[in-house]
Amino acid sequence: MAAGAIAVDGGDLPLGGGLLSLVRPALTLLEPDGVLAILSRSSSVSEDLPSWCRAERHEYLGAEAAGDGATRHLVRPGRFSVQRTAEPPDAPPPERADAATGFAPHGSVVEPGGPRYPFDLLERDRVTAPEVAELYEQAVAAQWSAARDIPWGTIPRHEPALELAIRQVMSFLAENELSALYVPSRFIARLHPAYVGVAMFLATQMQDESRHIDVFLRRAHATGSPAAISSATTSRSLHSLLQIDDFTEASFLLSVLGEGTFLDLLAFVERFAPDEATAELAKRARIDEARHVHFGMAHVRHALAHDETLYPRLEAAVRRRAATLSGIGGVPAPVQDALTIYAAGASDPRRVARGHDAFRELLVAMNDGRIRGLRSAGFTAEQAATISDLHTPNFM
Amino acid sequence: MTETILLGAVAYDPKVVTIWEGIRDYFNESGTPLDFALFSNYERQVESLLAGHIDVAWNTPLAHVRVKQRTRGASLSLGMRDSDRDFHAKIVVRKDAGIAALQDLHGKRLAVGSRDSTQARILPLHFLRQEGVDLDRVRIVPFDTDLGKHGDTGTSELDVLRALDDGRADAGTVGDLVWVQEQAAGHVDAARIEVLYTTPGFDHCMFDALPAISPAKREGFVRSLFAMRWDDPAHRRLLELEGLHEWMPPREEGYESLIAALAAEPALAAAG
Repeated sequence: MAAGAIAVDGGDLPLGGGLLSLVRPALTLLEPDGVLAILSRSSSVSEDLPSWCRAERHEYLGAEAAGDGATRHLVRPGRFSVQRTAEPPDAPPPERADAATGFAPHGSVVEPGGPRYPFDLLERDRVTAPEVAELYEQAVAAQWSAARDIPWGTIPRHEPALELAIRQVMSFLAENELSALYVPSRFIARLHPAYVGVAMFLATQMQDESRHIDVFLRRAHATGSPAAISSATTSRSLHSLLQIDDFTEASFLLSVLGEGTFLDLLAFVERFAPDEATAELAKRARIDEARHVHFGMAHVRHALAHDETLYPRLEAAVRRRAATLSGIGGVPAPVQDALTIYAAGASDPRRVARGHDAFRELLVAMNDGRIRGLRSAGFTAEQAATISDLHTPNFM
Repeated sequence: MTETILLGAVAYDPKVVTIWEGIRDYFNESGTPLDFALFSNYERQVESLLAGHIDVAWNTPLAHVRVKQRTRGASLSLGMRDSDRDFHAKIVVRKDAGIAALQDLHGKRLAVGSRDSTQARILPLHFLRQEGVDLDRVRIVPFDTDLGKHGDTGTSELDVLRALDDGRADAGTVGDLVWVQEQAAGHVDAARIEVLYTTPGFDHCMFDALPAISPAKREGFVRSLFAMRWDDPAHRRLLELEGLHEWMPPREEGYESLIAALAAEPALAAAG
């Protein structure tokens, strides 16, 4: 707590020999009109302390004999002095953050006159949600290793058509996960550090995506098949995701709709996995993605509760994105073919028929999953159906 | 359309360009058109002000007193830094030099700053004389660096402290700002060097103008200058570079000791 008066014993320390390290902190603990008493046995302090006070604009009030050869100097902090306050460590983040506080940790006393930082995500209820701290803890506890936690040594050789399908599916997953790595990175640099919990969660999300990219590409390259095709549809869809400037819209499109759809895709990849390693990496990636979806839902739900204009804005964002993707027929052909053969597990026509059915069921499951997620976020059944229909055929 | 104020400043350091470009931009944004010209020394700047080539000169105390004297007191003082008020000089001594009182300086080596530095030479020697020190009996060790800059660079004061530190001098003269800044930065060995004497206070730099400056220029200059604020990020950077917290109104009484010192040294008073 700020004090009206503080005394420090400077012993025989000269001003430039350590005394300032006692005087300066003590001055910051005073109330603005408080007085610091400095007991000193150094004769040079009588010469130097008034000069230092002049340079720092503190008020040197004078000196008095304190007995036993000591002198008591009295100083009042000047009006340019920065005084510490008793800020509780668990003070909630402000509703609106000040861009001039820069990277000062929340709760610090920020000296005025610092530069304005280019943060523009400054409103608490547009960027954060009550669940963020818990999701961050979960994410930190759930980290795993691409190198150690997948049984890479158990991968058998499959028939060439299936190997090609695996390569295409894994490459497609990696391509989409690259967008999920880059999109949050655009917002971290704009988030005010008062809401650093959100940035820290996004950092775990980016670490998750990095690991997913790693395992998907390792699995793709383990096939030894010809290269996968990156379709223009996928590229255009992900490009439109990268261009969204509004954090909540991006979170909605990437995490609620895109990653939500990916949960069904990864369940499909796990269910029809041709080997243990592929099943394991799909399962682990899906658990991580579920956390990202949870964050996206929490963020959007919280923002919707604090901003009535958000429903139509989110719907408009989905429509705008759908408009830029108009003309795209459906799931990119290389992806549809690969998922069909992947589910079939072989190129035998009877099994391909089953693979085709599984692919059609996947699309239905994805649509149902999106509608459930949208209903849970607070959209009406009609809005949810409309938005799900408009979602990109690229899944993400 | 208000006329542009042309301000003169002496380029004693590269940061002077940063300072005055920043202040020029701020003045222009605040509705007071201003540009600046840099001089290599205060003598030329004073002559340019007297000749009417510049409207305002940012002057050292020595230059300010010369302008006052050359205009027979008619020049206008427009403003000063808070740090220009109540400046002091220090006589610092080596603890092992056996100097316990000012009279002990007799026969000792006294390092002093540039001969045109108010705080490191002119006034500390003036006050020593007043205190009864016979300077003819003191071995003066001069550091006449950066002549023409009137001590702005602080180089000669650092030379003085170095000479004390390595034993080339027994005592030295420095301004209080350099002294406390060097101490606060941990550059002074407090076990070996300490202050013997602090001079009475005196004032430092001043914005000078001739009486002929137009009222619009004078009022615009003062209005924009005093609107600068320490807690404004755009201003603070400039104020820190220029070494102040806030601009203060002018006052003349702080130059009386310098006027008296110059009266005793006519050559210095008339330089330029």
